[in-house]
Parts: sequence; structure tokens; C-alpha cells
Amino acid sequence: MAENKVLIVGGGFSGLTAAVEAAEAGSDVIIVEKNPYLGGRVTQLNKYFWKMCPPNCGLEIQYKRIKNNGQVKIYTMAEVEKISGSGGNFDVTIKTQPRFVNEKCTGCNKCTEACPEERSSDFDFGMSKTRAAYLPHNQAFPLQYVIDGKACKGSSCAKCVEACKYDAIHLDMKAETVTVKVGAVVMATGWNPYDAAKMDNLGFGTVQNVITNMMMERIASPNGPTLGKIVRPSDGKEVKNIAFVQCAGSRDENHLAHCSYICCLASLKQASYVRELYPDAKVKIFYIDIRTPGLYENRFYTKIKEDQNVSFLKGKVARVEQAPNGDVKVTAEDIHGGSKITETFDMVVLATGMQPTAASLKNAGVAMTDDGFVDQAALPKGIYATGTLKTPVDVARSAQDATGVVMKSIQSLRRN
Amino acid sequence: MADATIIKPDLQFVKEIIKGGGESLKKCYQCATCSVVCNVTPEGNPFPRKEMVLAQWGQKDELLASPDIWLCHQCSDCTAYCPRGAKPGEVLNAVRKQSIKQVALVPFLSKIATDPKFIWLLFAIPMVLFYLIMPYRDVSMVPLLNGKMSYSNFMPVWPQVDATFMLTAAFAAFSALVGIKRLWATMAARSGAKGTGSPIGHVIPAVTTILAHKKFADCDVNRLRQWGHLLLFYSFAGLAVVTTVAIVYLYGWKFFGIQAFGSFNFGKSPYPNNDPMKILALVSSVAFAAGFIILLVNRLVKAGKAGLGGYFDWVFLLIVGGVGATGMLAWALRLQEMTAGYWVYYFHLVFVWTLFMYAPYSKFAHLFYRTTAMAFARYTGRDTK
Repeated sequence: MAENKVLIVGGGFSGLTAAVEAAEAGSDVIIVEKNPYLGGRVTQLNKYFWKMCPPNCGLEIQYKRIKNNGQVKIYTMAEVEKISGSGGNFDVTIKTQPRFVNEKCTGCNKCTEACPEERSSDFDFGMSKTRAAYLPHNQAFPLQYVIDGKACKGSSCAKCVEACKYDAIHLDMKAETVTVKVGAVVMATGWNPYDAAKMDNLGFGTVQNVITNMMMERIASPNGPTLGKIVRPSDGKEVKNIAFVQCAGSRDENHLAHCSYICCLASLKQASYVRELYPDAKVKIFYIDIRTPGLYENRFYTKIKEDQNVSFLKGKVARVEQAPNGDVKVTAEDIHGGSKITETFDMVVLATGMQPTAASLKNAGVAMTDDGFVDQAALPKGIYATGTLKTPVDVARSAQDATGVVMKSIQSLRRN
Repeated sequence: MADATIIKPDLQFVKEIIKGGGESLKKCYQCATCSVVCNVTPEGNPFPRKEMVLAQWGQKDELLASPDIWLCHQCSDCTAYCPRGAKPGEVLNAVRKQSIKQVALVPFLSKIATDPKFIWLLFAIPMVLFYLIMPYRDVSMVPLLNGKMSYSNFMPVWPQVDATFMLTAAFAAFSALVGIKRLWATMAARSGAKGTGSPIGHVIPAVTTILAHKKFADCDVNRLRQWGHLLLFYSFAGLAVVTTVAIVYLYGWKFFGIQAFGSFNFGKSPYPNNDPMKILALVSSVAFAAGFIILLVNRLVKAGKAGLGGYFDWVFLLIVGGVGATGMLAWALRLQEMTAGYWVYYFHLVFVWTLFMYAPYSKFAHLFYRTTAMAFARYTGRDTK
């Protein structure tokens, strides 16, 4: 008899969707999430394209469904170490890193107030700092603080332990390993932003005020490092003249050979962030092709194009240099205009793409495509992949795909 | 549709580019990274992005009439950064091959020089030629000169060597002149731009740019090639001086009855190793070898980024390398009094003849046509850097 239990690897939008759908269909679910919170990349966004609603929109509904259902067991700060067995009966080893804060945490913030140590915020891509005892972000689910083991001085300090009234902090927590039995596995480990520093001609990391599109999401986000004010990192100057560099690493054999699909729509979306905030701001989007497939996606493109202050230039930026006063100089060939042009901007956003996370699963014997995504046709029975692990997709399509894939996983449980 | 432009692709031309080292041509998706990373293109209407689309669409006339295909020095920065592996540097090289063929006085000679199918003929012609005119096919019969080996006794300077090479050089020079004239006329007819000053006036700055290897200095990925090419270029120049002086040595003394002047030794070869002419020859040979090895190693090491090149490039390297290797080996063998040196010298003549004969038909033609195009680009204000 197969275990009526589905393991979901990754608690981002795809994993969350798969989890609630499976749970509501009557299966037990385990979510294994690497971060201390659920929601994945979506939690870092300011708005979704093309509806332009904030990500809590979709996330809160999913969290609510998980809470109401009660059949979903969540492991945060955890990774799957080993999967053995076969379809219907898998033994899964899960390793959990110490959070140093247990579920008694009420989110009162006293530990943060007491903590003297600082750490760079990976949630904000290093653009802000938090205390070593911190809440990952203000919408974090589960609402439970974390202590960064690397930044924390441990029992020699222990100021947070004194500050906590609920006995929620235990600095002697150790990594734990548990083994669970499941009937099916849905992998939803998602994507990482491609490392922009790898493109040695685009200035990321060497030229001031060159940022990535995911950093732009944080800057524009009300819970971001600038509380939603779009200013440049070097001097806090308002960004009134901004360039977007499309295909920064995508559709490029030297980096990511695939089209990451989301970057065109993301830049159009981010152009509107700037335009809404600063009525006199100018935006220039350098592109090879603007790819906005789909009726609503294309309408969104048309709408942004109507804005006189948003201009489009056909020609990929292949050189980014520092200009005086923190400005950024970009060079491209204006293909329609017929000459090489160099223009200066307050800030430049590299529309970096999706680095699939399938590579980390390679050791587990998961077959991959040439582009580094999971080759779903080659997966063993009872194991499924969903979302950006298979192909670059947006949030809406992730939700659709996860719903379909989880159906397959439930069927596999019934079949055994 | 009154203003529609009908584009007639020359499919044969596209095929020839693909066959001639530009097999990656169709991968280009016109992102224009290449035009940006290129440091030698003019800012206005830059290359090589437009050449890629013109080549894909078989626009032979427009491509071959553009000085841009010759302004390209194949730094291969474009190839290294190309997101599609379309290798614009290699494609433009294949286009230049077509340009050489188009302006050739005798197109068949260009075929021999650039088509792998004719490699046997390329070397068979001079091998038969020199075999027929050599006086001693049994090298043990070659008389010694003052008790030592002498290549001028193996293959007499007159008429065998000099008559052959003078005729060959004259034909090559005539071919090059016709080619230059045709290339200029093609470019002028297409460009329509009015030139400034006399065309000849623009040749000098073009030549000084070439002499200083200024354009190569702008390359990033293939930076090392500047030194390789510079050494090879000046070793050729040095050897050209040596050849000229040798003529004076040989015929001058007869003319004026002078035997020697200081350490200059007039008369029949070989000359002692401390003769200034000999020293220049040896220095040039070392520079030649160094330059050649740099170019060869650079091409192999950078193949992943810059492309490996095609037959067009490799046959040229083979001829140039053959000239150098046989020349130096023949010299060494003569010093050792080894008669195998005669046959090495025979092959040296074969390689040198091939180099001369096909200069305006092989990759060597870049010397004439790039200079022409650079002068034309200056003349029409296209490239003033």
C-alpha cells in the first residue's frame, strides 16, 4: 500500500500551490523549504505583472489554505538529503539547519532589539542589514524569527535569550536529520537570478548603480531597503533617467542559452514603477526582441509603449562603463537608427534571467536538458517536477503547472 | 506597395560563405553585441552586425562593395562575445575570401589557392616546374664551391631562380594592381560618396597605420596577435630588403667590378655569417619564427573564443610556415654540409614560389586589399581614426 503522502521540495509559489492542492484533495503533504520562510522569489517582488497587484495577493490565500487544512507539515531551513525507494514508497532524509528560535516565538521583536550583531540581508541582495536575530521580512510565513548562526556570537552574548519572555530562543540548537515515508515527490526548487557579475562587459559589481532586476524589485518594494523609494544605491539620488538592459545573460550561449521569458515583462513592469513615482522620469529599454507572449501580456506591452517617456531601442547593450558622479554610460548599436550610441543614465537595470536550480539535483541522478532544466520525461516513476525547474515561467503559469503536476502525483499514489 | 524594395538573395553566395569558414552564419539573430564590442569599427553604421544580415540574405553586391569587410581586422572580440556562436569574425573572413575571388584577374588561380580540392595542384605546379629546370637531379653530382655546399650551384641563380621569380613576381604584381583597381572601382560605384583630395593622398596614412599595427592594438581577445603579426610583417620586410641587397651583391659587382666593401661581400652566394646582409637575414628569420609561432599558438589557444579559422587561413599559414621552416632548415643543413639540404632548398623554392604566385589570390591578398579599403575609407570619410 502506497503512502498517501506527497513530498513537496521547495516552498515557493509552485510548491505552495502543489501543497495546498494535494492537501485539499485529501493527501498528507510535507513541504521542505531551504529558506526560513515560504513564498520563495515571489516574496521579494514588489508587484506581479501584468495585473500589478502586490505578491501578498496570491501568497496570503495560499498560507490561509495551508492553515485551514492542517494536513501540511512544513520544514523550513531544510533540504532533502536523500531519496530512496520507488514510486509509492519513498524514504526521504531531510536535514534541518538550526533556526535557534522555536515555535513559541510570537514575533514580538524583542530579540532583534536586544541583538548587538549585524548581518547583510540576503533577502535584500545585500542592500540592507539586519540584526543577527531577525524576521526575514514583514510578511514572513511562518511568522517566526531566525538567528543567523554565522553572525550570532552564541552563548557568550545571549542578550536575545534574556530578552525573550517566551522561552523561544535556544542557542544550542543543532542541525537535525529526520526520515519520512512518502508516496510521491514533487520537486519545485525554482530558480536563482543569474549571477550578473559573470558578464564582464555589463559592469555589475564594478560600475556603481548597475543593479539587477531582482534588486530593482526590492528597491521598489514598500518593505525593501529604501521603503519603496526608487533611489540609486551609491548616493540615494532619485532615479529620473533609467535604462533597462534586456537579455542580460539570457539567450546567450556564454551564459544562459535559453530565453528566461519573464525579463521583458519584468522590465516593462519596472518601467511603470519609475514612471508612477516620478512623473518626469525617462525610461529607455534596450532590447533584442520584446517578448510578451499572451493576450494580456501583449496588452500590457502596448500600454507601456503608449507612455511618451518610455522609449525602446533595438540593439543589445554590450558595454557598460562608469560616468562621473555615479552615472552609468551604456553603449549599444541603434539598429533602426544605424549607428553606435553611448548614453548616460542615473541607474541601469540588468534584466537578468533565470538560472535553473536543477543542477543541484544532478547528484540525485535527475536528468537535465541542455539548458540545465529538469528533463521531466526522464524522471523516475513517482517523482515530478514543476514550475521554473522545468522551464522559465511566470507566477500565474507556475500556479497552473503546479496544479496540473500535483494531480499527476496524486494519481500515482492511487495507482500503487 | 509602390515603394517596396525587392531583395534578390544570391543563394550561391550564401552557400560559398558557409562552405568557406562561415558555417555559423545562420545562427546570428541580430542582437548587435558584435558591433558594440568591436573596437575597430566606425561609430556610424558600424560593422559587423549589418554584414551578418547582408550575408544571411545573400546580398553579395552590397557586401563585396563595402570597405567595411576589409576594415575588419578579425580581432574576434565579436566572436568571443557573440551570444549565438555565430562567429562574425569568421564570417567576415569568409566574405573577404569571396572578395579576393571577385576581383581576381584569373579567378581559377583563386580557386586553386583557397579551395581544399585543389591543394595538390597548388604545390604540384611549382614542384614540377622546379624539377624540370634543376640541372642536377642527382644531388651528389652538384659541384662544390670552394669545397663547400652551395645552393647556387644546385639551382643556378640565373636563369633558373631569378628568371622564374621575376616573371612570377611581375605577374603577381600585375594581378594585384588589377585587383586593387577593381576593388576600388566596385567600392566607388556603390558608395556614391564624394571623396576628399586625391585617393593617393589617403594611401600614406593608411600605410602608416598598417606599419604601426595601430588597429591590432584595439583588439581585446586577440591582443597577442598584434605582436605575432608585427614580427611576421617586419621579418617579411627584412627578408625583402635582403633579397634586394642580394640582387645588388650578385649583379652589382659584375657591373661595377667591385669585389667587397668593408664587411659587405659581393659575388656569388653563400655569404659568410658575419656579412651585414646575412645578419639581417638571420634576425629576420628569428623574428619570422617567433611571429609565426605566436600566431599559430594564439589561434589554437583562442580557438574556443575566436574560432579556429578555415582552410583559407590554414593553407596560408602552411605556405608561410613552409617558407620559414624550409628556409631555416636549408641554411642549417648547408652549414653541416648535408646534401639533404638540396632537397630542402628545392621545397623552399616551391613554397616561396607559391607564396609569390598566389599572393593576390590567397589570404596574402589582404595586404593589398585591406590597404586599398583603408585608403578608400579615409578618402570617403568612412574611417578617419
